[in-house]
Amino acid sequence: MAFLEWLQSTRVASFVAETLWAYPLFETLHTLGMALLIGALGLINLRILGYKRELPIVGTLDLLPLAWLGFSVNLVSGLALFTSDAVYFWSSITFKIKLGLIVLAGINAFVLSQSVFREARAGGTAAPGAPAKLVAGASLVLWVGAIVAGRLIAYLP
Amino acid sequence: MEFFAWLESTAIAQAIRTVPWIYPALETAHYIGLAMLVGGIMLIDLRLLGLARRLPLRPVIGLIPWVWAGFIVNAVSGSLIFVYGATNFSGNTAFRIKMVLMLLAGVNAMIFTIAAARGGRTWLDAASVPATIKAIATASFVLWLGVLTLGRWMAYI
Repeated sequence: MAFLEWLQSTRVASFVAETLWAYPLFETLHTLGMALLIGALGLINLRILGYKRELPIVGTLDLLPLAWLGFSVNLVSGLALFTSDAVYFWSSITFKIKLGLIVLAGINAFVLSQSVFREARAGGTAAPGAPAKLVAGASLVLWVGAIVAGRLIAYLP
Repeated sequence: MEFFAWLESTAIAQAIRTVPWIYPALETAHYIGLAMLVGGIMLIDLRLLGLARRLPLRPVIGLIPWVWAGFIVNAVSGSLIFVYGATNFSGNTAFRIKMVLMLLAGVNAMIFTIAAARGGRTWLDAASVPATIKAIATASFVLWLGVLTLGRWMAYI
């Protein structure tokens, strides 16, 4: 695709691909962002599933800024890594599966923000019902799937 | 070193080298373990440093088993990855620094255990976290950030 070829010919792309420290730096940021994102979202979703009931759900929502920080770090670092070798990444089925899983996880998070999060902020004390638990469980599976797919980009088509 | 060369010649190392899916599987496990270990530790450290104050400290400290689970997954997967490339890894500067930082992080965790137990854990119910605990949490955050960073740079240094 012409756009992808243009993208990897930009100065940003050659900076990431050719500067000795840029690629490992963005990889490191991508790993750090993953730990922050999964740490925060993991706990929020586990709490919805009924784990650690001593933690108020509304309190776990204070971790959302941390999750957003992790997500933003990974969006920026991920784009930088993608740009450096755009044609290759876009040709990878595993990469596209990873993106698909992240989109689904995003939809999941949106559903929770409109239901469980809203009720918790309004002072609701009731335990999340089966539908909310299903969404939270799916969210955990999707993020783990995204990590697995991300790691396997280098090994699978 | 003869020992590292012997490690590389073991049946386990040969299996990792010859069966195509084992190495990617080990790397993937190491990432999942990382998310549990570093994600969990950073979450606990940040709470001790004042993030998400609506989360009671006791159940947050109660997340430590997740950290242990992540540590065990990574000790096993990391040891197997090491056996596979023992002569290379043992001479790698980034790997050596990573091991030293992990040792320091372990000592720091022991200091935390001792400091946390002082005074019958009453600080867990106090409004503010003692300065000693905050200093230990800061050291923990920085050390694990270092471990994560050096792990990523092993392929480049």
